[in-house]
Amino acid sequence: MTKKSAKTTADEKLLVGIDLGTSRSAISADNGKKKWVESYVGWPRDFISRKVVGKPMLFGEEAVEHRLSLDMYRPLKNGVIKEGTARDEEAVKELIRHLISLVQPSRNDSKIRAVVGVPAESFKVNKVALKKAVAEFSEALFVVSEPFAVAYGVGALDNALVIDIGAGTVDFCIMHGTVPSEEDQRTVLTAGDYIDQQLFTFLKDRYPEADFNLNMIRRFKEEHSFVGTVDKDVEVEIPVEGKSTVHNITDEMKRACDSILPAIVESTLELIAKFDPEYQDAIRGNIILAGGGSQIRGLVEYLEETIGEYGPTKVRVVDDPLFGGADGALELAKEMPEEYWTEL
Amino acid sequence: MISEMDKKLMRNAESAKIKDAILQGVYEDNLTMSAPHTKPVRSGQPGYRLINRILSVLLTTVLFVLIQFISDPIYQQSTNPVAFSEIASILPWAEIVHDQLAGPSKVLQPSYVADSTPWPVIPFNAQRLLDYNLLLNHDQVRLSSVFGLDVQTIVIDPGHGGRDPGAIGSQGTREKDIVLDIALRLRDQLMQSGRYMVLLTRDTDTFVSLADRVRFSNLNKADLFISLHINALPQKQFNVTETFYFGPPSDLYTLRLAEQENRGSELLTGDFKNMIKKIGDVLKEQESATLASTIQYSLFSNLKKYDRVIADNGTKIAPFVVLLGVDAPGVLVEISCISKSEEETNLNNPAYREKITSSLEEGISRYLTQRHTQIVKGDDNDKKISKNNS
Repeated sequence: MTKKSAKTTADEKLLVGIDLGTSRSAISADNGKKKWVESYVGWPRDFISRKVVGKPMLFGEEAVEHRLSLDMYRPLKNGVIKEGTARDEEAVKELIRHLISLVQPSRNDSKIRAVVGVPAESFKVNKVALKKAVAEFSEALFVVSEPFAVAYGVGALDNALVIDIGAGTVDFCIMHGTVPSEEDQRTVLTAGDYIDQQLFTFLKDRYPEADFNLNMIRRFKEEHSFVGTVDKDVEVEIPVEGKSTVHNITDEMKRACDSILPAIVESTLELIAKFDPEYQDAIRGNIILAGGGSQIRGLVEYLEETIGEYGPTKVRVVDDPLFGGADGALELAKEMPEEYWTEL
Repeated sequence: MISEMDKKLMRNAESAKIKDAILQGVYEDNLTMSAPHTKPVRSGQPGYRLINRILSVLLTTVLFVLIQFISDPIYQQSTNPVAFSEIASILPWAEIVHDQLAGPSKVLQPSYVADSTPWPVIPFNAQRLLDYNLLLNHDQVRLSSVFGLDVQTIVIDPGHGGRDPGAIGSQGTREKDIVLDIALRLRDQLMQSGRYMVLLTRDTDTFVSLADRVRFSNLNKADLFISLHINALPQKQFNVTETFYFGPPSDLYTLRLAEQENRGSELLTGDFKNMIKKIGDVLKEQESATLASTIQYSLFSNLKKYDRVIADNGTKIAPFVVLLGVDAPGVLVEISCISKSEEETNLNNPAYREKITSSLEEGISRYLTQRHTQIVKGDDNDKKISKNNS
């Protein structure tokens, strides 16, 4: 490469939108690349495990796979960086470094400008720490709350309610033509992980002899979760004394998924009721579901029916729940005026 | 599913104006992230700046004469200001002052080393005088982070108790019971992080005198002191939430010293200690004010959900005895008013008390996080200095 072309690439800016989730983190870059990882960071426990895994640090799926040799961190568990846990902060940093490296063609050849969406609760509590964590890898960055990034991405800027059902948290955010304040947002801690725990307990009760772990439970949920009724029973294979056996888990799945509904409905009604009465109908007619939980079968119908008792309700699901936040953040990055970047 | 068409329509419908406003909002939000809180606290108290100015004049004088004094070799043998040299050795003065002065102005490198020289000979230098003055008076210099102080022990003080029921509502609800319940919940919530030792001045329905509360906090070397109260107002329709902290020391002292501003040296040996104490007072006040503002903010924004007309009285400076005596930064929270009948009903509901506890905890956590972050920043500064020096 000639000197001149090297210089041109150095001046290039790569815009990225990052969605830092409790369970999965995603990145979208303006060079068209999109990647996601499970929000796990693992450091080898000791010298031997370091040799076994062959890397100083593992991420996502790979970390989960080698979890027995690693000190595992899910840095934004419950939606916030835990107070005073240096390792969690470091894990956030490494996770972001990793995400950026996934979309950057070759390291350090372009300047990164990032918009990072984080769980609403974390935005409230840890934003300075988060900002610090990302600052190292980027020329300039903005931190925003995740449901807000989603809303921006789908262009729901006015009279809309985004419900982002993630693993650790369900985040609510009312959009009314301005940046949502803390009062426009709400976080509920019973989300995807809670369904997993419930399902785990229910299945342990009903099938004490079956041998399963939380990872499998999570897979069952992702494939079969539903609200209301289903035409076909939910049947999964779980080993019993080493032999793969089919189990009917319809009732347990239903109860587990139902367990997060009351809090979602209650928060939705409460947030809307607090809003200017003139616009309440408009917001009820523009509810947008995002996050992994938006994929629960029958959820849209359930919400439309329950919330519909208070007035006409329309619930929709974002096109791409996995990248909704990252795409929205990228959209923000693209539309952010140049002077804001430089002045920051 | 949202189709591309829908999306386009939605986008078109939103005026560019909304987008601009939102982008600007995000920008402003992120701008304030690096320097949170100190400003809002100050702006509410016009008196603060005046006091600050008086304090500044006082300190300038004290330091001016002090520096002349220590640069005089005759006095060098007789003074051994260990305390100050100990503190001085850990202060990243130059870095901070450099940041504040923001320019090519010359910055003095700290020349004092903790123990090798008992007290360095520093010729009088107006720049240096300015340096110290800036440290104590600049809004953005937070002493807790300058000194790298961390929080370990939190003392929670549920007001009243025993024979002193505190305020009583029309349904017979007693302040002492409500605040005790909230204090116990708050202790549990704060202990969960495993990071802080949380102590209560009373954990049962017993009478504890104010003096004993102060003594308890100081004996246990509290780093934060939070006193919980419920208010009662004669105007029964009102509900108010407010947080108090103890303000700067009385002006009399300041005035007395200001009178002697030009007389100089005979004052100094004694006032040297006062200067150190003053640093402590500024620290306590800065931290109390910040803590009060974070607690008040989260308390009000949460209580508002239950009582739309609750008034936000903000943070206030008031001479509560219990706050004066406690060494640690402290606040007194008047959570709400039991005199309003709806509020009394709410307070009798454990779920509501849990909500109050969570908002208190949220405020305290926010304060601690913020403080922790600033200390980390301070550490980074230290590293930078040592790098530069090497």
